[in-house]
Amino acid sequence: MNFAIRVLTSARFAVSVVALFIVISIVGTFVPGGDVVFGSPLFLALIAILAISTVLCSLTRIGPLWHELTRAEVAVSDSFIDSLPYSAHLSSVTVTEVRDNLKGYAIRESKKGGTTFLFAQKGRTGRFGSHIAHFGVLILLLGIATGAAYGYANPYNNKIAVIAQGGSQQIDGFVLRLDNFNVSYYDTGAVRDYKATVTVLDGDRAETHDVTVNGPLTYKGLTFYLYGYDANGVAQSGKASWVAFQIKSTTGIPLVWAGAAVTLAGIMLSLYVPHKRIWIKESHQGVDLGASSNKSAKRFFREIESLCTKLVNHAQNGNAHRRNMR
Amino acid sequence: MDAATLEHLGFEIALGTYLISSVLFVLYFSEKRRRLAEMGFFLALFGFIFQTIALASRWFYAGYPPWVSTYEVMSFFAWAIVGGYLILNVKSDYKNAGLLIAPLAFILLGFASLQPSNPAPLIPALQSVWLLIHVPIVILSYCAFVIAFVASLLYLFKDKQLSETQTVAVIKSQQEIAAKSAPQGSAPESAGILARFSLEQLDDVAYRSVAIGFPLLTIGIITGAIWAESAWGSYWSWDPKETWSLITWLVFLVYLHAKTQNWGASLSAYIASFGFLSVICTFLGVGYVLPFLEAYLPVSTGLHAYAGGDVITGTLLFIGIVGAVVVLLFATRKKPPNTTHVLPAREDAEHEPTS
Repeated sequence: MNFAIRVLTSARFAVSVVALFIVISIVGTFVPGGDVVFGSPLFLALIAILAISTVLCSLTRIGPLWHELTRAEVAVSDSFIDSLPYSAHLSSVTVTEVRDNLKGYAIRESKKGGTTFLFAQKGRTGRFGSHIAHFGVLILLLGIATGAAYGYANPYNNKIAVIAQGGSQQIDGFVLRLDNFNVSYYDTGAVRDYKATVTVLDGDRAETHDVTVNGPLTYKGLTFYLYGYDANGVAQSGKASWVAFQIKSTTGIPLVWAGAAVTLAGIMLSLYVPHKRIWIKESHQGVDLGASSNKSAKRFFREIESLCTKLVNHAQNGNAHRRNMR
Repeated sequence: MDAATLEHLGFEIALGTYLISSVLFVLYFSEKRRRLAEMGFFLALFGFIFQTIALASRWFYAGYPPWVSTYEVMSFFAWAIVGGYLILNVKSDYKNAGLLIAPLAFILLGFASLQPSNPAPLIPALQSVWLLIHVPIVILSYCAFVIAFVASLLYLFKDKQLSETQTVAVIKSQQEIAAKSAPQGSAPESAGILARFSLEQLDDVAYRSVAIGFPLLTIGIITGAIWAESAWGSYWSWDPKETWSLITWLVFLVYLHAKTQNWGASLSAYIASFGFLSVICTFLGVGYVLPFLEAYLPVSTGLHAYAGGDVITGTLLFIGIVGAVVVLLFATRKKPPNTTHVLPAREDAEHEPTS
């Protein structure tokens, strides 16, 4: 069981499944009839495995990540600061001066053996970005599954309603009446847009809406899309004797958009919010400073360099001695 | 001069300058005279300015953004690729990447020039704000992936070059040791196009480009789904364009995981190259090869189609680009380090004092 969990939560396994998914999708674009490949049990099983693996990957890593981020050591050793990708000694600079110049950082201070230590960090949220994205994908998949399940159960889902001009149709407890249908044209004679004017009659409520190609009507969990019209009638007399609407259930769709938004937010966090950490320690009439960042290290080190220069210029006899910049 | 004439003039000038720029970079590749690369760069910039004028005029007189028909989309894509190349050169010197960028821009613009260019008014399905959002975002993401591919290909060639000159240096120093004379400096040489780049730099450019392209493509796919839902009644129907854009997204997802899990810069470079192939399939393959194949195989082309694209030239363009990429990727393969040259040198040294 342990082995199974270890495999399922490994990035290598997940990427292998994604690679298989990619290959099957490529094949699927050449097979006529989308559902043959994309609705097949194998494909759906792959998606399920990916979903499980993704969630497990994050569940097993979030705990330790949280632990790491909330229990960072403030009073660190000299060898630790030396081991950091960036480390320097700033003579004649005080811990207070450093603290005052660190903008936007969450700072913790500690005194140990008469020495003052500081730990400053920002961008911790960025470390959660990938996990947020993983959960976003899960929400998205739940939305898709919900839509598929409820949509399948909904008797109106994927049905075509053909309504005569001036006529109406009873749909799921309300009535849809076709008031008008109009085709507008460009000077060239090409079609500009189709517009059906409909009225929804529900009890004592009557709402009139325009339905266009890019503007469907949504009412009580069902969306009505322009699907067809009496083209002969329009060609001969400019009037359509009937208009067809495709009906789709909206169940699950908001969840899909929510999942997409969360995934995108997670992606942005993981790519653009670096977790920056700085350790400062009083030492030899100055401070030892060490820094690291999980991404965009060069830019971060430039920031630190300019901070050090600023501090050292303000201090009397200030001097910066940089030890590492990896 | 009216907008339509301004547009055609700008287009033709850009086409010409991209061609000359490509020739200059090819000359630089063989002659290694720096001046040629600099001239190539400035011509690309020149062409970009004229394309900007052309695209703006097009938008003005057509009354809709210049990314609807094949002619427009390919022009916009070429413009954006050159734009990406120029942005790359703002802070550092990547002029040499023009060797790959200029010809690509020229080919795309050349392909566009073969397509019907008269603007047709927008069909009902395109009367939407999403035309202004979804399409350019997706194309800009493709652009970022092109830059990532260029950087990745240069990385692989540089990596190969370094390992080969190192082998040569090792052979030389071994022969010198065998000949009992002091070995000369073993620093690997790097001449020509790749000289100005470091492996780290190229890997960084590739990563940063994917870091731009991947979120853009994510937004592009999401906005595409939103648009599909309102116009076609379904946010996802495994339409070939939708499926291939998802494939592209997944390949770059693998790239990002390879990077964060530290699976090696070389592997990432190959993944980014496959990502580029996927972009070509999504952009050109679905748009032109599938409709071409439709006459012979029972494939479906789906609902995504740019107006006025000739499927034969489109298919030829696809084959050309994919073929070139495959050849280039094969050329990046490194020879195994222990070649037979090493052993005889040592053996000879044992039996003969000096050569």
